[in-house]
Amino acid sequence: METATVPRVRDQRMTPPTRVFPYHVLERPGEKLVDRFLEAFAWVLEYTDYKPLLDSYCRSTAKCNRCAVACPVLLASGDPRDIPCYRTNLLLDTYRRYFTLDGWVSSRLSTPFELTEDLIDEMGEVFYRCTVCRRCTQSCPLGFDHGLVTRLGRYILSLIGIVPKALQVSVQEQLHGETHNTSKVPRAGLLDVLDFLSEEMEEGLGVKLEFPTDKVGRDYVFFCAVSDYLMEPDTLMGNAAVLYAAGDWDRWTIGLCNYDGINYGLFYSDWHLENIIKQLVSEVTRLEGKNILIGECGHASRAAHDFIPTFMGRDAPPVYNFMEYTLDCLRRGKIRLDPGIVTERVTYHDPCNIARSGWIVEQPREILRSFVPNFVDMVPKGAQNFCCGGGGGLVSIDEMHEYRMEIAGKIKAEQIEATGAEIVVAPCANCKKQLKELVEYHHLPCTVMGLHDLILKAIEIPGGKSPAERKEAAVSWV
Amino acid sequence: MNAWIDFARGPLFAITFLIMILGLGRQVVLQFYFLSVKKGRRLRGVAWKNVARETLSWAIPVRHMEPGNSVFTAASFLMHIGIILVPLFLLDHIVLWEGFLGVSLPALGRGTADVLTLLTIGCSLLLLFLRVFFTRHRMVSRPMDYVLLMAVILPFVSGYLAVHPRGSPFPWEAMMLTHLLSAELLFVLVPFTKLAHVVLFFFDRISAVHWQLRPGAGDKIAEALYGEEVKI
Repeated sequence: METATVPRVRDQRMTPPTRVFPYHVLERPGEKLVDRFLEAFAWVLEYTDYKPLLDSYCRSTAKCNRCAVACPVLLASGDPRDIPCYRTNLLLDTYRRYFTLDGWVSSRLSTPFELTEDLIDEMGEVFYRCTVCRRCTQSCPLGFDHGLVTRLGRYILSLIGIVPKALQVSVQEQLHGETHNTSKVPRAGLLDVLDFLSEEMEEGLGVKLEFPTDKVGRDYVFFCAVSDYLMEPDTLMGNAAVLYAAGDWDRWTIGLCNYDGINYGLFYSDWHLENIIKQLVSEVTRLEGKNILIGECGHASRAAHDFIPTFMGRDAPPVYNFMEYTLDCLRRGKIRLDPGIVTERVTYHDPCNIARSGWIVEQPREILRSFVPNFVDMVPKGAQNFCCGGGGGLVSIDEMHEYRMEIAGKIKAEQIEATGAEIVVAPCANCKKQLKELVEYHHLPCTVMGLHDLILKAIEIPGGKSPAERKEAAVSWV
Repeated sequence: MNAWIDFARGPLFAITFLIMILGLGRQVVLQFYFLSVKKGRRLRGVAWKNVARETLSWAIPVRHMEPGNSVFTAASFLMHIGIILVPLFLLDHIVLWEGFLGVSLPALGRGTADVLTLLTIGCSLLLLFLRVFFTRHRMVSRPMDYVLLMAVILPFVSGYLAVHPRGSPFPWEAMMLTHLLSAELLFVLVPFTKLAHVVLFFFDRISAVHWQLRPGAGDKIAEALYGEEVKI
């Protein structure tokens, strides 16, 4: 890992010859970094509503350090720079010194805090060591949202060019590329994948289905993480199977102009967050869709669910996560899941983006308990769950792989091992990728899959093969 | 000496107390002002009940005890109990409140007040010990964090010694004056330091409001920084 080469000495004012961040930066930040940082910070304060938040935090930060035991990164690394409060205070100190009267007065009275290039380097490093899982917020007696501050720090850094190349390239493609999605899947490629999925479903489930694309006026416009089309066919087939079995095949569609639910803006930039949201909503408007249905992806769900009302107003189409839809079908008896099919020990990983706020915690458990006899929960679970270690966009940054395996995901690996589960259900494209790598890296005897991968095995398809038949015919089961 | 004590107990007390009330009031008004600017559609989605419930759940933080910080949580909880109860409900203070504000509060028993005071002193010292000797705590500490902790202990120590003059190595008058002056120093410090969390604790918790970002801000910032030719 490259992190060790960042100079730590605060007292000596030295400028390293080349700036080293734990990730690749598209453009090397040039001269006058401090001035540019402060200028960007000033504009952010001018046009956004972060000021009251920073004022309140700055004034009342008690630095009690209770958050230290909540952070999975800190628990694994032991590096005091990973203390959530320490990280937050890097930005708060800068704010206090340069943007408040208090800071100005105290800078006249004693040796002032001074923002240096080294400190900016440190921010660039620690803000991206954090997975923005926001678990520390629950441990803070004052309720500080360290995730929000980290995100603000990343936003300001991104404005001066310090942003992981992996995220920036994806966002550029999504907003200005030809394909308008993060994985550069062209429209023809998507249609090929859908054809392939339809063939697979015919072979596996025994029903011939054609995926609805660009249909106008449907109830649901479906978006998933676009990488799912390339990497998670079973999840998509599970989604499709639920829609078909519930009799809603004529009620949904996939848009062909924009089919990517991913929104990396949620991790580092208000600007991109808003523009990607607008792009998504304009696709729904084009198709005259009534609701937005987000596939198994934690951050896509949160970005759409929380930020569409923020940016587009309350009249924007409502957002549902696919698990909410499936549970609704299950409760109303529209789909049936065979409880004799999945006999393995199954555990459930709560993706931070949908579970931390308490939005989706019980829904997937209710679905799982209805057809998995051997279900076991992790400790802790739900809103208190530990992050997989790939949150906050880290999972897309390949050069941080070792960090994600050894530090960010270490606690998660131990947690999974303790359950003794053979199947880990993680209904999030980010978590799935991270957990799959984690399981392989730590040699854990289990398989990682999405919730709908499992549902695909157990769902009863009207007019198709029975789940038991399918299980017998399957070459490899899990 | 007695003239000094009378001065500290009279006008100085009134002035410093007023500074605290006005200073804290300013913080609250500013926060409400910011919120009112933000209000409209963007405040409607906030689950105020959850915010209130979460805030109240910290009043007795048993369910927030986690392995690794239970000592800290317990010490901090007991310290706060003393800090809230003793200044308000000690018999000698009640007389003071009655004189100034005209309100009569129920009194704590002398024994209870003594126990609470000693607990507060003990727990504060424990917190100070943690800050000094544990890297994790030291890492987030600034000089002010030590100074304020000691400023909080001082009125409790001097007050205790003033109430128990027989065991005290110092004359009563000196202790009383120290007690009054240190408490008044604290009044002045509260609105201008992190002690302001006495009112700001509620505003810190409403991050749900702050997650409701302002539409269009991103484009304006980008334009201001990069000019007309906006590069994403």
